[in-house]
Amino acid sequence: MATIDLAEIPVREANELIRRAGAVGENVEVLNPDAKHHIGVGLVHDINVKIRGSAGYFCAGLTDTARFEVDNNVGWGLADNMLGGSVVVHGNAGAIAGVANRGADIIVHGNVGSRAGQVMKSGTLVCAGNANFMAGYIMYGGRIIILGDSGEQVGQDMTGGDIIVGGNINSLGKDAALTDLSGAESDKILELLDRYKISHKGVFQKITNDGKQLRYSRDEPRTRAIPFFEATGDAGYWNEKVQEDIHIKAQIGRYRIRGYGTSRPLPHFSDIAFRKDIESLRPDPDVVDRIEMKTEIGGRTGAKPIKLSMPVMIAPMSYGALSKSAKLALATASALSDISENTGEGGMMDEQREAANQLIYQCLSGRLGWSIHDMQRADGLEIYISQGAKPGLGGQLMANKVTAEIARIRGIPEGIDLRSPSRHPDVLGADDLVIKIEEFREATGYRIPVSVKLGAGRVSDDIKIACKDGFDYVSLDGLQGSTGAAGSEVLEFVGIPTLAAIQEAVDALAEIGRPGELPIVLMGGIKTGVDAAKALALGASAVAVGTSALIAGGCISCLQCHVGNCVVGIATQDPEHERRYNISTEARNIHHFLESFRWQLAAITEGLGYDDVHKICRDDLVALTPEAAEITGLDYVPGHGAREPALLSRVS
Amino acid sequence: MSVYEFDRVAPIDPPAGSRDDVDDVHFVPAPCQVACPIGTDAPSYIAYTWEGKFEEAFEAITATNPFSSICGRVCDAPCEPACRRADSDGAIAIRNIKRYVMDKLGPDFRPTPVEVTRGETIGIVGGGPAGLTAAKDLAEAGFEVHVYEMTDRLGGMMVWGIPTFRLPVGIIQQDLDRLAARCPGIKIHLSCGLGSGVTLDELKQRHDAVLVSIGAWQGKDMAELDPNDPRIVNGVDYLRRINGGERPDMPETVLVIGGGDVAMDACRAARRLTGCKHVKVLYRRGPDEIPARREELEGAIQEGIEIIYNVQPVDITEGDAGFGLQCVRTELGEPDEDGRRRPVDVVGSEHFVAGGLVVVAVGQKAECDELARNFMMNGDRVRTDWDDMRTSDAKVFAAGDGAFGGSTIVMAMQHGHRAAYYMKAFLDGNSKPLPYRTPFRTSRVPVAQDPEWEIFNRQHQDFKGLGDKPLAFPEIETTYDDAAVRAEVARCYRCDAETGSADYSVQNREDIFMMARAKLSDVPTQTAILNKRLKSHAEPFPEDHLPSLDDLVFLPANLSRLVIDPYRDPCNVTARIGGRIALASPLLATGFDAAPVEIRNALGAGLADHGSAYIGQQSVGNNVPWLQLLDPENDAPSAQAAALIYTREGGFTEFAVPACADDQLKGLRVHRDDLKHALPFALDHEFDVLLLDGSPGSGVWPELAGNPDFAVIRDTLRLLRAMNREEDIEILYFGGIRSGTDLAKMIGLGANGVVLGASLGFALGGQVADGEFEFSGGGDEQERGEAVSLFFKSLAMEASIMARCTGKTDIHNIEPEDLRSIARATSLATGIPMPGKDAHR
Repeated sequence: MATIDLAEIPVREANELIRRAGAVGENVEVLNPDAKHHIGVGLVHDINVKIRGSAGYFCAGLTDTARFEVDNNVGWGLADNMLGGSVVVHGNAGAIAGVANRGADIIVHGNVGSRAGQVMKSGTLVCAGNANFMAGYIMYGGRIIILGDSGEQVGQDMTGGDIIVGGNINSLGKDAALTDLSGAESDKILELLDRYKISHKGVFQKITNDGKQLRYSRDEPRTRAIPFFEATGDAGYWNEKVQEDIHIKAQIGRYRIRGYGTSRPLPHFSDIAFRKDIESLRPDPDVVDRIEMKTEIGGRTGAKPIKLSMPVMIAPMSYGALSKSAKLALATASALSDISENTGEGGMMDEQREAANQLIYQCLSGRLGWSIHDMQRADGLEIYISQGAKPGLGGQLMANKVTAEIARIRGIPEGIDLRSPSRHPDVLGADDLVIKIEEFREATGYRIPVSVKLGAGRVSDDIKIACKDGFDYVSLDGLQGSTGAAGSEVLEFVGIPTLAAIQEAVDALAEIGRPGELPIVLMGGIKTGVDAAKALALGASAVAVGTSALIAGGCISCLQCHVGNCVVGIATQDPEHERRYNISTEARNIHHFLESFRWQLAAITEGLGYDDVHKICRDDLVALTPEAAEITGLDYVPGHGAREPALLSRVS
Repeated sequence: MSVYEFDRVAPIDPPAGSRDDVDDVHFVPAPCQVACPIGTDAPSYIAYTWEGKFEEAFEAITATNPFSSICGRVCDAPCEPACRRADSDGAIAIRNIKRYVMDKLGPDFRPTPVEVTRGETIGIVGGGPAGLTAAKDLAEAGFEVHVYEMTDRLGGMMVWGIPTFRLPVGIIQQDLDRLAARCPGIKIHLSCGLGSGVTLDELKQRHDAVLVSIGAWQGKDMAELDPNDPRIVNGVDYLRRINGGERPDMPETVLVIGGGDVAMDACRAARRLTGCKHVKVLYRRGPDEIPARREELEGAIQEGIEIIYNVQPVDITEGDAGFGLQCVRTELGEPDEDGRRRPVDVVGSEHFVAGGLVVVAVGQKAECDELARNFMMNGDRVRTDWDDMRTSDAKVFAAGDGAFGGSTIVMAMQHGHRAAYYMKAFLDGNSKPLPYRTPFRTSRVPVAQDPEWEIFNRQHQDFKGLGDKPLAFPEIETTYDDAAVRAEVARCYRCDAETGSADYSVQNREDIFMMARAKLSDVPTQTAILNKRLKSHAEPFPEDHLPSLDDLVFLPANLSRLVIDPYRDPCNVTARIGGRIALASPLLATGFDAAPVEIRNALGAGLADHGSAYIGQQSVGNNVPWLQLLDPENDAPSAQAAALIYTREGGFTEFAVPACADDQLKGLRVHRDDLKHALPFALDHEFDVLLLDGSPGSGVWPELAGNPDFAVIRDTLRLLRAMNREEDIEILYFGGIRSGTDLAKMIGLGANGVVLGASLGFALGGQVADGEFEFSGGGDEQERGEAVSLFFKSLAMEASIMARCTGKTDIHNIEPEDLRSIARATSLATGIPMPGKDAHR
């Protein structure tokens, strides 16, 4: 038994010692916990940890296998995302006890705060006392046992799992219903309680999902996209697309859903140009060897940065929205081009980890497929707040794509129209993020960067907060960002264009006297090295490509990602359709695309007279449209670089 | 021809006088179209077929192809391997769709004729695909064209080379009949060969230009085999005899040497003849190298023909085992001059293959004594310059197999187009025409709206093989039935069509596609892509761009505001107009006073179901709150109305406001021009509601006239603020509201609710004709009522999602600060700032 006294050493050091003890199978006793946060976070070994007092936030969070015991009370986020093992708390627990539980026994002898067991997937949460409101909020599976009173709105928006209540049910939540509890089930519960030496007399009531909101009630008729230029207001106010939208909404009574990003023309990188005439130069194939393009991102707080051979990443896209094959092609291409890949929402696959040299692991509000083991083998962690395609809303995955395999990896019921929560259980305000980041750093020994993904909205305010919260970099996603499924109106009309997003971000950092301090990885409609060079000139540290990488790998831009029948095998979980996708061919194509991208970046850099891609700057740019000039503050030079078509470079 | 041989990044100009649409920014020729040597607009005819527009499909098919019926059956269809769906679950059956369309229209369908308009005449030697394609182009250009054909019929290798089980008798006649109907200026001289019926000098005297398209009629011999041995026949001769009607008896085993189309036709013909039990095809390379079209090869195998790969005959022998070929096995060595790996004999692999007849099908050559005498031959081809299709004689051009070696029908047609182009330039006196390239046209047909398009697998034709009576050469396969063709055409990706995304437009998508496929070492292509991307683009908003609600975007809550979950968290959408009229959402209806009674009933039911209200001269019943629209001088207020909304036709003038019941609201409908006078009037008379009319037109459906003028709300609020009376009157907005997002934006701009007219017309199943709705189609009254209710429900949901995205739990809390404008015109019209530089100040 190792004894660790938190009066003597900080939690960070204590957690290192606990992990080291775990590695050799030695039990640990923690003295003077003093309600400190993150005690035991990141422990994945089969040992006992006794905490002699009260613990703070995220006690035993992001752990597996270990058995914790806390003499007194714990703060919020008890046993956050615990994979296995157990926690016994002899006192009370704060809010979101057992949040995102994935298989542990979490026993609280006293009361639990609000939203106990939020987004839990598996395992058991026992509260021997009373629960506060919304126990089992958005739970996907597992079991919550409340021996006292349930609190208000118990089971609110639950999609799976059971909630057992021994006391009064104060009120049922939306889409939760009382159901029968068999004698055998009751006996099993008593058996479990007995194991943890909790006695209970009286009958249980059982609450499960009422099944009314798991699927959209009416299927949306499938249509193929109308050419975008026929669907803008400039093509007639009541154009064909407007009529189609009205007709379909009048059939289904809800918003429409589709894949991809904005459909209409917006101010974008094509509305700005390089001041200098790069076309008259004749770049050669070796230009990439002459230009410095290496980029390191995420070392701001001492973590090992993401090392990129050029300032480009693969944007986060989930396994789920995309097929496994498409994800593997992206991972392989990222390795071939020596850049990074990102898991997106859907968890990490072994093959993906294997294929990618550098893999960023994204944490979303639903904690779908989130696990300490994958965190510890990731090269970066990213907390998703929102994305450009649907800022303010959680991810959406239609039932067609929620196969048994996807459901398994995400820890959710099969065949539901998945609408991920829009808000993290443990991030209600900016300050919560500070503690959340710290939890992630504790779990990974402060070794890897922690970034935040933001859809562009109130960018100026959001960037200042992200900077103060201590993120290592920001993934900033403009209105043009795409997705596998979102409400079509949200896709079009929520957020600001990518061009405006980078401008606001850069200005905001300057305003707080920290220019350039927080690297911005810009995404949302970046298609080529030309777009990337402009983004870098405006102040981005790197860009990320999502949709364009998919197109390079065979996507035909039909906007039907949400349907799940992707004709080329990218946005589908149907094995018949996925079989159409040739991983090695498409990985090579994506790699070729990235190399062409690299060559463009190098050619432009050299054309502008620099030897380092990061030397491109604002002065190299002009705005071609009044909108772009107003958004960026660049000189408005209408018609700059316009040429007679006949003079445009021809290739014989 | 590779799919990307045509430079799609920086295309050269199209040939003069051709229809070419490559300059259209919303069009990129599809891979199938680029792969077709004559640029057939397959995507358009495929899409027309889905629409059932067969005459339009016919036009797209035959625009550059005078032998469409033939090609529908026997084209080697380089389009199909180029098809992007080939990599997924099988290429679109482009060829068979063509056959279906041609069969559907039938042999009697006739195009409109073109007149002879030019004085010059042209002589063409050879009535095969190259010559007749040139003849058609030149006839369409107005020339009189004389075709001199050596045999007794037109068609060249199409009739003499292709057996009737692949190309039934009569099919070619359909194409020829249409050609004759289209081009009365084409005069045919049969049984009149070059040298045998007419001399070159005579042709040059008779005509202003001459095209030599004599074909490659002689089969090449193999040095190893004695061509005079009666048991060795040449493939071309063999097929010519059979296609001429002969049905010779065969020995039990026939050996065919070669792996091309002639070998395939010869082996399959032999298989059908009397006496033949086995056919073996000997090919010197492997299955990956065999040039025969995949389908022909599979057809041959299905018919029981054995393909022996990697084998090279070295001699004929007649030993104890009977007659046959002495062969060696081969393996692939280094690539030869045409890039294919040369087969190399394997030492010690000599073996014997028995067979009673050997058909040699190892290539074709041209022979013409007349041209040879004039020193115009180059070995077994007519000496021809590809760059202008001229022979050594300034007035004589050449095309087709005779000029460039044996190839396919569609390549011969390309030669014909090319030669016609240069001949016309010659006759026009244009000595330096732009280089020819295949033109690419599009008919911009909408994509097939078939929801199953991603799921349908390639539809198969029924393969009949030898049939019951092989000797009669019945056709080997059927075409599609109507259902199968519809499924097949629905599968087309429509690589040519503009996408639904401005950001990933067809141009942008294809540039990315090129980046992913062009070699990095291909600097010219990489440079072309880079230069194209550097080029300034069209502005997102045209100069005449009108202010649009579509230019307003919402600012989402992220870190700076608590995120409200739009999927789950509650959000109030109810409204109470003037503090009295309770609505389920701030959505009202108007415009149906003159609509048919069943439409009004349906509307009433729908509004009642949702909990909405109606503004109009009459109530819609169903206890739907009625806001009576009335002219104070002509109409009497109704006691049943929940509100009286006064309206002044022809502009606002003051009026005496009649007394109303205590529980009735008073409202005034105003246009932007009225505001200055109407607003103080309304405030002075303590009106409860302003109905701001931003509709651009007049009459029953004023919204249908175009973009609404929603600056009316900006001006109203400015005036109210100036008077400090913002809270004293409520604002309803009418004009161009289409969605819940529009509703949310109008609330953000200051409205308390919006009024729907035209969008409800569409929701009720109306069709617009002459600026009015017609309700002839659509469902019954109950379905229409339900549609209204569902439409309102969806709008309320959309608006509440927008509210929650901005961090609000009540849609009435959306404010101007939640919005940004992405276009200057709209920023001016609304007072909503643009994002970006200085936006945060």
